[in-house]
Amino acid sequence: MDTMTIPRKTDVRDTLVSDLDDGFTVLVRTYQPGIYSGALRLTRSREDAQEVAQDTFLRAYTALGKYDDERIRNLQIRPWLWTIAVNLCRTRAKRARPTRPLPPDEILGGEPDEHFDDSAWSRRLGALSNPQRTAVILRHVADLPVNEIAEITGRPVGTTKTDISRGLAQLRTIVHEEETT
Amino acid sequence: MTDIEQLLSNLDARPPQDLERTTLITAGAADQVTTADSPFGPLWISWSPIGVTAVSPLFACSSMDEFMATHRRSAYRAERLPTDLATQIEEALEHGTTPDFPVDLRGIAEFQSAVLETCSRIEIGTVRSYGWIADQLANPGAVRAVGTALGHNPIPLLIPCHRVVRSDGSIGNYAFGPDMKHDLLVSEGALLA
Repeated sequence: MDTMTIPRKTDVRDTLVSDLDDGFTVLVRTYQPGIYSGALRLTRSREDAQEVAQDTFLRAYTALGKYDDERIRNLQIRPWLWTIAVNLCRTRAKRARPTRPLPPDEILGGEPDEHFDDSAWSRRLGALSNPQRTAVILRHVADLPVNEIAEITGRPVGTTKTDISRGLAQLRTIVHEEETT
Repeated sequence: MTDIEQLLSNLDARPPQDLERTTLITAGAADQVTTADSPFGPLWISWSPIGVTAVSPLFACSSMDEFMATHRRSAYRAERLPTDLATQIEEALEHGTTPDFPVDLRGIAEFQSAVLETCSRIEIGTVRSYGWIADQLANPGAVRAVGTALGHNPIPLLIPCHRVVRSDGSIGNYAFGPDMKHDLLVSEGALLA
Protein backbone atom coordinates (compact mmCIF):
# COMPACT_ATOMS: atom_id res chain seq x y z
CA MET A 1 0.00 0.00 0.00
CA ASP A 2 1.45 3.30 -1.09
CA THR A 3 -0.74 5.54 1.00
CA MET A 4 0.05 7.29 4.21
CA THR A 5 -1.51 5.93 7.33
CA ILE A 6 -4.74 7.71 8.06
CA PRO A 7 -5.27 8.39 11.75
CA ARG A 8 -8.18 6.37 13.14
CA LYS A 9 -10.90 8.24 14.95
CA THR A 10 -14.03 6.99 16.57
CA ASP A 11 -16.42 8.65 14.14
CA VAL A 12 -15.71 9.20 10.48
CA ARG A 13 -17.77 12.40 10.63
CA ASP A 14 -15.23 13.94 13.01
CA THR A 15 -12.47 13.07 10.58
CA LEU A 16 -14.46 14.53 7.68
CA VAL A 17 -14.89 17.79 9.56
CA SER A 18 -11.23 18.05 10.57
CA ASP A 19 -9.83 16.92 7.21
CA LEU A 20 -12.10 16.19 4.27
CA ASP A 21 -9.54 14.14 2.36
CA ASP A 22 -8.55 11.97 5.34
CA GLY A 23 -12.22 11.47 6.22
CA PHE A 24 -13.13 10.66 2.65
CA THR A 25 -10.36 8.06 2.50
CA VAL A 26 -11.82 6.39 5.59
CA LEU A 27 -15.27 6.60 4.02
CA VAL A 28 -14.14 4.88 0.82
CA ARG A 29 -12.26 2.16 2.67
CA THR A 30 -15.16 1.51 5.01
CA TYR A 31 -18.15 1.62 2.69
CA GLN A 32 -17.05 1.11 -0.91
CA PRO A 33 -16.62 -2.69 -0.74
CA GLY A 34 -20.19 -3.12 0.52
CA ILE A 35 -21.62 -0.73 -2.01
CA TYR A 36 -19.77 -2.50 -4.83
CA SER A 37 -21.10 -5.81 -3.59
CA GLY A 38 -24.69 -4.62 -3.42
CA ALA A 39 -24.45 -2.75 -6.72
CA LEU A 40 -23.13 -5.88 -8.41
CA ARG A 41 -26.36 -7.69 -7.50
CA LEU A 42 -28.60 -4.71 -8.22
CA THR A 43 -27.11 -4.02 -11.66
CA ARG A 44 -26.02 -7.59 -12.47
CA SER A 45 -23.00 -6.11 -14.25
CA ARG A 46 -19.47 -5.78 -12.95
CA GLU A 47 -18.85 -2.73 -15.15
CA ASP A 48 -21.96 -0.99 -13.86
CA ALA A 49 -21.16 -1.96 -10.28
CA GLN A 50 -17.69 -0.42 -10.58
CA GLU A 51 -19.15 2.76 -12.02
CA VAL A 52 -21.80 2.95 -9.32
CA ALA A 53 -19.28 2.26 -6.56
CA GLN A 54 -17.00 5.00 -7.88
CA ASP A 55 -19.63 7.59 -8.85
CA THR A 56 -21.33 7.24 -5.47
CA PHE A 57 -18.18 8.41 -3.73
CA LEU A 58 -17.31 11.09 -6.29
CA ARG A 59 -20.76 12.61 -5.76
CA ALA A 60 -20.38 12.25 -2.00
CA TYR A 61 -16.98 14.00 -2.09
CA THR A 62 -18.40 16.90 -4.09
CA ALA A 63 -21.35 17.21 -1.72
CA LEU A 64 -19.21 16.99 1.41
CA GLY A 65 -17.04 19.81 0.09
CA LYS A 66 -20.13 22.04 0.09
CA TYR A 67 -21.59 20.96 3.44
CA ASP A 68 -20.87 22.93 6.60
CA ASP A 69 -19.51 21.19 9.72
CA GLU A 70 -22.91 20.85 11.39
CA ARG A 71 -24.47 19.20 8.37
CA ILE A 72 -21.60 16.71 8.16
CA ARG A 73 -21.88 15.91 11.87
CA ASN A 74 -25.60 15.21 11.45
CA LEU A 75 -25.18 13.01 8.38
CA GLN A 76 -26.31 9.41 8.61
CA ILE A 77 -23.38 8.30 6.52
CA ARG A 78 -24.32 4.77 5.47
CA PRO A 79 -27.92 5.40 4.34
CA TRP A 80 -26.81 8.64 2.70
CA LEU A 81 -24.20 6.82 0.60
CA TRP A 82 -26.57 3.97 -0.18
CA THR A 83 -29.28 6.40 -1.29
CA ILE A 84 -26.85 7.81 -3.85
CA ALA A 85 -25.83 4.30 -4.92
CA VAL A 86 -29.37 2.96 -5.30
CA ASN A 87 -30.37 6.01 -7.34
CA LEU A 88 -27.38 5.45 -9.63
CA CYS A 89 -28.38 1.80 -10.02
CA ARG A 90 -31.91 2.87 -10.94
CA THR A 91 -30.58 5.31 -13.52
CA ARG A 92 -28.56 2.55 -15.12
CA ALA A 93 -31.52 0.20 -15.12
CA LYS A 94 -33.52 2.78 -17.08
CA ARG A 95 -30.95 2.73 -19.87
CA ALA A 96 -32.52 -0.55 -21.00
CA ARG A 97 -29.15 -2.20 -21.26
CA PRO A 98 -29.73 -5.94 -21.39
CA THR A 99 -28.34 -7.52 -18.26
CA ARG A 100 -26.24 -10.60 -18.50
CA PRO A 101 -25.57 -13.29 -15.93
CA LEU A 102 -22.26 -12.83 -14.17
CA PRO A 103 -19.76 -15.37 -15.47
CA PRO A 104 -18.06 -17.68 -12.98
CA ASP A 105 -14.87 -15.59 -12.81
CA GLU A 106 -16.92 -12.77 -11.37
CA ILE A 107 -17.98 -14.89 -8.47
CA LEU A 108 -16.02 -13.31 -5.70
CA GLY A 109 -15.88 -13.27 -1.97
CA GLY A 110 -14.38 -16.55 -0.95
CA GLU A 111 -13.92 -20.07 -2.11
CA PRO A 112 -16.22 -21.30 -4.84
CA ASP A 113 -19.23 -22.95 -3.32
CA GLU A 114 -21.01 -25.85 -4.93
CA HIS A 115 -24.30 -24.20 -3.99
CA PHE A 116 -23.15 -20.95 -5.53
CA ASP A 117 -24.39 -20.58 -9.09
CA ASP A 118 -24.04 -16.93 -9.99
CA SER A 119 -25.98 -16.92 -13.23
CA ALA A 120 -28.73 -18.71 -11.32
CA TRP A 121 -28.76 -15.96 -8.70
CA SER A 122 -29.00 -13.29 -11.38
CA ARG A 123 -32.01 -15.09 -12.76
CA ARG A 124 -33.61 -15.69 -9.36
CA LEU A 125 -33.19 -12.10 -8.20
CA GLY A 126 -34.32 -10.92 -11.61
CA ALA A 127 -37.62 -12.69 -11.04
CA LEU A 128 -38.47 -10.40 -8.13
CA SER A 129 -40.20 -7.07 -8.46
CA ASN A 130 -37.84 -4.08 -8.31
CA PRO A 131 -38.82 -3.07 -4.74
CA GLN A 132 -38.50 -6.66 -3.51
CA ARG A 133 -35.16 -7.23 -5.24
CA THR A 134 -33.73 -3.96 -3.92
CA ALA A 135 -34.94 -4.62 -0.39
CA VAL A 136 -33.71 -8.22 -0.33
CA ILE A 137 -30.28 -7.29 -1.69
CA LEU A 138 -29.87 -4.38 0.71
CA ARG A 139 -30.98 -6.52 3.65
CA HIS A 140 -29.24 -9.82 2.97
CA VAL A 141 -26.32 -9.04 0.63
CA ALA A 142 -25.40 -5.56 1.91
CA ASP A 143 -26.51 -6.42 5.46
CA LEU A 144 -28.35 -3.15 6.08
CA PRO A 145 -31.00 -2.82 8.81
CA VAL A 146 -34.63 -2.49 7.73
CA ASN A 147 -35.03 1.11 8.91
CA GLU A 148 -32.08 2.21 6.76
CA ILE A 149 -33.44 0.33 3.75
CA ALA A 150 -36.76 2.13 4.21
CA GLU A 151 -34.93 5.46 4.31
CA ILE A 152 -32.86 4.61 1.23
CA THR A 153 -35.78 3.40 -0.87
CA GLY A 154 -38.27 5.95 0.41
CA ARG A 155 -40.78 3.24 1.38
CA PRO A 156 -42.38 2.81 4.81
CA VAL A 157 -40.69 0.41 7.24
CA GLY A 158 -43.69 -1.95 7.23
CA THR A 159 -43.76 -2.05 3.43
CA THR A 160 -40.03 -2.69 3.38
CA LYS A 161 -40.43 -5.65 5.76
CA THR A 162 -43.15 -7.00 3.48
CA ASP A 163 -40.93 -6.52 0.41
CA ILE A 164 -38.18 -8.50 2.10
CA SER A 165 -40.34 -11.34 3.39
CA ARG A 166 -42.23 -11.73 0.11
CA GLY A 167 -38.99 -11.54 -1.85
CA LEU A 168 -37.42 -14.23 0.31
CA ALA A 169 -40.53 -16.39 0.02
CA GLN A 170 -40.42 -16.11 -3.76
CA LEU A 171 -36.72 -16.97 -3.81
CA ARG A 172 -37.39 -20.05 -1.67
CA THR A 173 -40.07 -21.14 -4.07
CA ILE A 174 -37.77 -20.63 -7.06
CA VAL A 175 -34.92 -22.56 -5.43
CA HIS A 176 -37.30 -25.34 -4.35
CA GLU A 177 -38.68 -25.65 -7.89
CA GLU A 178 -35.13 -25.82 -9.26
CA GLU A 179 -34.28 -28.64 -6.85
CA THR A 180 -37.38 -30.65 -7.68
CA THR A 181 -37.13 -30.40 -11.47
CA MET B 1 -30.90 -17.21 9.48
CA THR B 2 -32.65 -19.40 6.93
CA ASP B 3 -30.83 -21.27 4.17
CA ILE B 4 -31.91 -18.73 1.58
CA GLU B 5 -30.65 -15.86 3.73
CA GLN B 6 -27.33 -17.68 4.18
CA LEU B 7 -27.03 -18.17 0.43
CA LEU B 8 -27.73 -14.48 -0.17
CA SER B 9 -25.10 -13.42 2.36
CA ASN B 10 -22.59 -15.51 0.42
CA LEU B 11 -23.15 -13.26 -2.59
CA ASP B 12 -20.90 -10.67 -0.97
CA ALA B 13 -18.24 -9.72 -3.52
CA ARG B 14 -14.86 -8.05 -3.35
CA PRO B 15 -14.35 -4.94 -5.50
CA PRO B 16 -11.51 -4.78 -8.03
CA GLN B 17 -8.21 -3.99 -6.34
CA ASP B 18 -7.71 -0.61 -8.00
CA LEU B 19 -11.22 0.74 -7.33
CA GLU B 20 -10.28 2.45 -4.06
CA ARG B 21 -7.17 4.00 -5.60
CA THR B 22 -9.02 5.19 -8.71
CA THR B 23 -11.82 6.68 -6.62
CA LEU B 24 -9.52 8.58 -4.26
CA ILE B 25 -7.36 9.91 -7.10
CA THR B 26 -10.30 10.87 -9.33
CA ALA B 27 -12.01 12.68 -6.46
CA GLY B 28 -8.81 14.56 -5.67
CA ALA B 29 -8.63 13.18 -2.13
CA ALA B 30 -5.30 11.50 -2.84
CA ASP B 31 -2.45 12.61 -5.04
CA GLN B 32 -0.18 10.71 -7.34
CA VAL B 33 3.54 11.08 -6.81
CA THR B 34 6.61 10.29 -8.83
CA THR B 35 10.18 11.43 -9.34
CA ALA B 36 11.33 13.39 -12.37
CA ASP B 37 14.63 14.79 -13.56
CA SER B 38 15.02 18.55 -13.71
CA PRO B 39 17.79 21.07 -14.34
CA PHE B 40 18.05 21.28 -10.54
CA GLY B 41 18.41 17.55 -10.00
CA PRO B 42 15.76 14.90 -9.41
CA LEU B 43 12.51 16.08 -7.87
CA TRP B 44 9.59 14.56 -6.04
CA ILE B 45 6.43 15.82 -7.74
CA SER B 46 2.87 15.15 -6.62
CA TRP B 47 -0.27 16.12 -8.43
CA SER B 48 -4.06 15.93 -8.30
CA PRO B 49 -6.61 16.23 -11.12
CA ILE B 50 -6.39 20.01 -10.56
CA GLY B 51 -2.62 20.39 -10.82
CA VAL B 52 0.71 20.10 -9.04
CA THR B 53 0.30 19.83 -5.27
CA ALA B 54 3.89 19.61 -4.07
CA VAL B 55 7.49 19.59 -5.24
CA SER B 56 10.73 18.87 -3.45
CA PRO B 57 14.27 18.05 -4.45
CA LEU B 58 15.10 14.44 -3.66
CA PHE B 59 17.99 15.51 -1.46
CA ALA B 60 15.52 17.26 0.86
CA CYS B 61 13.21 14.25 1.26
CA SER B 62 14.73 10.80 1.30
CA SER B 63 11.48 8.90 0.75
CA MET B 64 8.05 9.34 -0.76
CA ASP B 65 6.49 8.97 2.69
CA GLU B 66 8.65 11.77 4.05
CA PHE B 67 7.80 13.94 1.06
CA MET B 68 4.07 13.42 1.38
CA ALA B 69 4.10 13.67 5.19
CA THR B 70 5.72 17.08 4.84
CA HIS B 71 2.76 18.19 2.78
CA ARG B 72 0.13 16.30 4.77
CA ARG B 73 -1.30 14.64 1.69
CA SER B 74 -1.91 10.97 1.03
CA ALA B 75 -0.69 9.69 -2.29
CA TYR B 76 -0.19 6.73 -4.53
CA ARG B 77 3.06 6.12 -6.34
CA ALA B 78 2.84 6.58 -10.11
CA GLU B 79 5.28 5.39 -12.75
CA ARG B 80 5.60 8.79 -14.37
CA LEU B 81 3.97 12.16 -14.82
CA PRO B 82 1.12 12.45 -17.31
CA THR B 83 2.61 13.60 -20.62
CA ASP B 84 0.84 16.98 -20.70
CA LEU B 85 1.83 17.83 -17.14
CA ALA B 86 5.42 16.70 -17.73
CA THR B 87 5.67 19.08 -20.69
CA GLN B 88 4.18 21.96 -18.71
CA ILE B 89 6.58 21.37 -15.80
CA GLU B 90 9.57 21.11 -18.10
CA GLU B 91 8.68 24.40 -19.79
CA ALA B 92 7.95 26.08 -16.45
CA LEU B 93 11.30 25.02 -14.98
CA GLU B 94 13.10 26.29 -18.08
CA HIS B 95 11.17 29.48 -18.87
CA GLY B 96 9.17 30.25 -15.73
CA THR B 97 5.56 29.52 -14.93
CA THR B 98 2.70 31.08 -16.84
CA PRO B 99 -0.63 32.17 -15.33
CA ASP B 100 -2.32 29.02 -16.61
CA PHE B 101 0.21 26.65 -15.03
CA PRO B 102 -1.90 24.14 -13.10
CA VAL B 103 -1.31 24.15 -9.36
CA ASP B 104 -3.59 22.79 -6.67
CA LEU B 105 -3.49 25.00 -3.57
CA ARG B 106 -6.58 23.55 -1.89
CA GLY B 107 -6.21 23.28 1.85
CA ILE B 108 -3.78 26.18 2.03
CA ALA B 109 -4.78 29.16 4.15
CA GLU B 110 -6.18 32.13 2.25
CA PHE B 111 -3.30 34.47 3.06
CA GLN B 112 -0.61 31.97 2.10
CA SER B 113 -2.46 31.14 -1.08
CA ALA B 114 -2.58 34.85 -1.98
CA VAL B 115 1.15 35.18 -1.26
CA LEU B 116 1.94 32.20 -3.47
CA GLU B 117 -0.27 33.45 -6.30
CA THR B 118 1.46 36.85 -6.16
CA CYS B 119 4.86 35.18 -6.06
CA SER B 120 4.02 33.11 -9.12
CA ARG B 121 3.75 36.36 -11.12
CA ILE B 122 7.44 37.21 -10.58
CA GLU B 123 9.03 36.64 -13.95
CA ILE B 124 12.15 34.63 -14.53
CA GLY B 125 15.31 36.74 -14.40
CA THR B 126 13.84 39.18 -11.88
CA VAL B 127 13.64 39.40 -8.11
CA ARG B 128 11.20 41.09 -5.77
CA SER B 129 11.27 41.83 -2.07
CA TYR B 130 9.08 40.39 0.67
CA GLY B 131 7.76 43.92 1.10
CA TRP B 132 6.76 44.07 -2.57
CA ILE B 133 4.51 41.04 -2.08
CA ALA B 134 3.03 42.55 1.08
CA ASP B 135 2.33 45.76 -0.86
CA GLN B 136 0.72 43.80 -3.69
CA LEU B 137 -1.63 42.29 -1.12
CA ALA B 138 -2.42 45.76 0.23
CA ASN B 139 -0.98 44.64 3.52
CA PRO B 140 2.38 46.40 3.86
CA GLY B 141 2.76 45.42 7.49
CA ALA B 142 2.73 41.72 6.68
CA VAL B 143 6.35 41.40 5.53
CA ARG B 144 7.24 38.78 8.13
CA ALA B 145 4.05 36.81 7.42
CA VAL B 146 4.94 36.86 3.72
CA GLY B 147 8.31 35.34 4.60
CA THR B 148 6.63 32.63 6.64
CA ALA B 149 4.15 31.88 3.85
CA LEU B 150 6.93 31.57 1.29
CA GLY B 151 8.95 29.43 3.68
CA HIS B 152 6.10 26.91 3.56
CA ASN B 153 5.67 27.03 -0.20
CA PRO B 154 4.64 23.47 -1.12
CA ILE B 155 5.57 23.96 -4.78
CA PRO B 156 9.04 25.56 -4.77
CA LEU B 157 10.82 26.08 -8.11
CA LEU B 158 7.46 26.17 -9.91
CA ILE B 159 6.07 28.83 -7.58
CA PRO B 160 9.33 30.78 -7.57
CA CYS B 161 9.78 31.78 -3.94
CA HIS B 162 13.54 31.83 -4.66
CA ARG B 163 12.90 35.08 -6.58
CA VAL B 164 11.92 36.86 -3.37
CA VAL B 165 14.85 38.51 -1.61
CA ARG B 166 15.35 40.99 1.21
CA SER B 167 14.71 44.65 0.56
CA ASP B 168 18.42 45.40 1.10
CA GLY B 169 19.23 43.09 -1.80
CA SER B 170 20.64 40.28 0.33
CA ILE B 171 19.47 36.87 -0.67
CA GLY B 172 17.46 35.89 2.40
CA ASN B 173 16.36 32.45 3.53
CA TYR B 174 15.45 29.46 1.41
CA ALA B 175 14.03 26.09 2.36
CA PHE B 176 16.85 24.28 0.55
CA GLY B 177 19.61 26.64 1.68
CA PRO B 178 20.86 30.05 0.52
CA ASP B 179 23.44 28.47 -1.80
CA MET B 180 20.73 26.81 -3.87
CA LYS B 181 18.73 30.06 -3.93
CA HIS B 182 21.83 31.88 -5.14
CA ASP B 183 22.52 29.28 -7.82
CA LEU B 184 18.92 29.39 -9.02
CA LEU B 185 18.97 33.17 -9.36
CA VAL B 186 22.30 33.02 -11.19
CA SER B 187 20.98 30.36 -13.56
CA GLU B 188 17.95 32.55 -14.28
CA GLY B 189 20.11 35.61 -14.95
CA ALA B 190 18.80 37.54 -11.98
CA LEU B 191 22.19 37.60 -10.26
CA LEU B 192 25.75 37.70 -11.46
CA ALA B 193 27.65 34.53 -10.63
